[in-house]
Amino acid sequence: MKKKLFSLMAIVLTCAMVLGGCGGAAQSAAPAPAASGAASKSDAKSDVTITYYSMWNETEPQGQTIAQAVDAFKEKTGITVDVNWQGRDIRKTLQPALDAGQDIDLFDEDVERVNGTWGKYLLNVEDLAAKSYDTTNGKPLTDVINKKLVDLARSLGPDGKLSTIPYQPSTFLVMYNKDIFKTAGITAVPKTWEEWLAACAKIKAAGKTPITVDDAYMASLFGYHMARLIGKDKTLAMVTNKKIDDPAVLTFGEQWKEMYDKGYISKNAAGNIYPAGQQEVASGNVAMYLNGTWLPNEIKNSAPADFNWGSFAYPAVGKGGDGPEANQYGAQCFGINKNTKHAEEAFKFIVFMTTGEWDNKLAADSIGVPMANDATWPKQLTDAKAVLDATTTRYPWAVGMENEADINAKIKTNFALLVSGKLDAKGFADAMKK
Amino acid sequence: MKTKNKAMIVIFLAPAVFLYTMVFLYPTIRTVIMSFFKVEGVTDAVSTWKFNGMGNFKTLFNTPLFVSALQNIGLIWLVGGIGVMLVSLLFGVILTSGVHGKSFFRSVIYLPNVISAVAMGTMWINYVYNPDFGLINSTLKGLGFKNAAAQWTGPELVFWSMLIAYCFGMVGYHMLIWMSGIERIPTDFYEAATIEGANVFQRFSKITLPLLKGVCRTNIVLWTVSTMAFFVWSQLFSPVNLSASTVTPMSYMYELVFGASSSAITDARFRCGRGNRRDPDHGGHCGVYVYAAHCPA
Repeated sequence: MKKKLFSLMAIVLTCAMVLGGCGGAAQSAAPAPAASGAASKSDAKSDVTITYYSMWNETEPQGQTIAQAVDAFKEKTGITVDVNWQGRDIRKTLQPALDAGQDIDLFDEDVERVNGTWGKYLLNVEDLAAKSYDTTNGKPLTDVINKKLVDLARSLGPDGKLSTIPYQPSTFLVMYNKDIFKTAGITAVPKTWEEWLAACAKIKAAGKTPITVDDAYMASLFGYHMARLIGKDKTLAMVTNKKIDDPAVLTFGEQWKEMYDKGYISKNAAGNIYPAGQQEVASGNVAMYLNGTWLPNEIKNSAPADFNWGSFAYPAVGKGGDGPEANQYGAQCFGINKNTKHAEEAFKFIVFMTTGEWDNKLAADSIGVPMANDATWPKQLTDAKAVLDATTTRYPWAVGMENEADINAKIKTNFALLVSGKLDAKGFADAMKK
Repeated sequence: MKTKNKAMIVIFLAPAVFLYTMVFLYPTIRTVIMSFFKVEGVTDAVSTWKFNGMGNFKTLFNTPLFVSALQNIGLIWLVGGIGVMLVSLLFGVILTSGVHGKSFFRSVIYLPNVISAVAMGTMWINYVYNPDFGLINSTLKGLGFKNAAAQWTGPELVFWSMLIAYCFGMVGYHMLIWMSGIERIPTDFYEAATIEGANVFQRFSKITLPLLKGVCRTNIVLWTVSTMAFFVWSQLFSPVNLSASTVTPMSYMYELVFGASSSAITDARFRCGRGNRRDPDHGGHCGVYVYAAHCPA
C-alpha cells in the first residue's frame, strides 16, 4: 500500500513538473506589423479591446492620469483599454502571466527591466514607430519624442531593435533648494569640487546643512563620485571584478571625511533609513540631495507647495574622471506583447500617451518629465532639462554599484561609518577592499 | 464495512492531499531540484534549465551577504529568543499571579500583534529611534544624558534596534502561550507548597517551571518558525536595498529572485534605469535553506 501510494505521488509530481515546465513553451508566432512609411489609419472607430498590464497603482498620480487618458482614448478611437493595475508587483506577476499565455497586449516598467528581463516577449516596434499619427504632425513618432531616450531604448532592445517606447523619463542629479542657495549667497551652481566645498561652506554659514543622504542612495553617491574621480569605465570595472580597490577610493574617503569634519553632511545621514534623507530636504533644513527628477513628486506632500526646486549635475571632481556631461538617465517604457493580435491599436495608445495633451498632462500631474520634444517641462524640473540635454555619457544606475548586492551593502556600511566619524579615509579604503 | 471506510478515507482525503501535493510538495521539490540548475526566471520551462551541480551552493556560501544573513538570523533566533522567552514568561507569571487588571494588561501586551508589522516598523523608526525627536534620544536628553543620544539606526546599532522592535511585538504572543500553560497547573500544588512554607521563587522554580516543559517546547518551535521567516522587519529597516546588518536569508532570497531591490512593501516609488540582475537559482537555494531550517521545528 505504501509503495503504491509512493508511486502514485511520484507520477503526480512528474506530471505536474512536465506540465508546469512546458506550459509556457507553446506560443504562436506573432503577426508581423504592417509595412512602414504609411500614416496610421485613425479616423475609423474601432471596437477592439486591448489589455494593458500597468506598473502603476490606480491611486498614484500616474495611475490616475492614465485612467483618465484611457477614457479619452476610447472616446476618440473607440478602442477600449482594459487596464490591469499591477503596481510594482508587475515584476513578479507579468512573466508568469505571459508564460501562461494570458491575453496581454501592452505592459510597462523600467526601460532596462522591460528590455532586459522581458526582452523575449517584446514585439519589434521599429515599423510602427516610423509611422505618423494624429499627434505627431505628419512626422514619424520617433522624430517628435526625446531622441536620447529612443536611442537608449533601441540600444537596450533585443538585437538592438526598438522594441519599447520610453515615457516618464528621469535623470539623476543634485536636487537642491534654491531658496537656501539664495540665502547663502551662492550665485552659480558648483561645477568643480572646489566650488562645491565653497558652496557648502556658505550654506553652513547660513545655518543650514549642505547635503544629506540615506541608505537607499549611498551607493549612487559613491558610484557618481568615483566616476567623477576615475571615469565611468574604471568605476564599472571595479564592480565587474568585484574589487573596490582603486587608489581613488582613498581620495573618496578623504573628500567625504572632510565633508563630515566640516559638518557639511547631515549628522543624521549615517542613520537615515529611506525616506528619512529626502524628508530632511522637504523640511527645508538641508540644501542638496543627490537624487532623481522624481524627487519633487515624491515629497510634494511633506514639502511646502512653493518649494523652490533647482537641480544641477554632480560636479567634476578629479582630472581623470568624468565631468557634468555624464549622468544617469532612464525612463519607464511601454512594450507590446509579440503575441498580440492588436499591435496597431496598442501602439496607438502608446502614441496617445507619449505625445500631445496626455504626455503633457502625465508630466504635469506627476511632476515628471514629458516625452514629446515640444512639451513643457514642469517648472520644478526646468534646470534638469538643461542637464539632460547636455548629457553625452550615460551612467547605468548607481554607476553599477547596485548591480552586486554585496558591494552595495559594503558601501552602505562603510560610508555610514565614514560620515559618522567612525572610520577615517584609510579605514574606509581598507574596508572597501575587503 | 472496512472497504467502505477505505473509500470514505480516500474521498475525504483526496482534495486535501491533492492540494497539499500541488501547492506545497510540488513547489518544494521543484525548488530543491532547481537549486542544482542555472535558471534565469523562476517560471522558466524545465527545458531551459542548465545543470550546475553544487555550483549554486558554493557561490552562495562564498557570498559575504549570505553569510551575514545567516549570522543575523542566528542572532535573532538565539538572542531574541532568550529575550522574548524570558520577558514573556515573566509577564505570564505576573499576570497569572492574581494581579489586578489582568485582562487589561494582557490585551495591552498582546496589542502589537494586532497591528501590522509595517505600521509598527514605521512607528519604531520614526518615533522611537529618530535621532532628533525620537522617544529614546528625547528621553536621554531630558534626563541630561546628552552624550548617550546615538544614531540608533546607524550601521553599528541598526541590527539591535531592529531586533528590539521585533521582539517587542512578539512578547505578547508568547506570553499568552505561557499563560495558558500556567493556568493549566492545578492550584492545589501552589496551595500545598504555600502551606509547606515555600516562597514565591521556590513555587516558581519547583512547580511552575517543571510543569511548563511542554509549553516551553511549543514556544521554542513557534519562535523558530516565525524567526526563520524573518522578512518584513528586515525590509522595513532597509527598505530599498539590502544592508549587511539587517539582511536575513528571506530578504536575500527575495532580492535575488525578484531582481535588484524591488521591495514592494515600502518602496512605493519607481526607480529608473537600474540594474536588474536576477539570480533565481541561488534564490531557490536560499529557499531550500529556509525550508531546511523549518524542518527540525
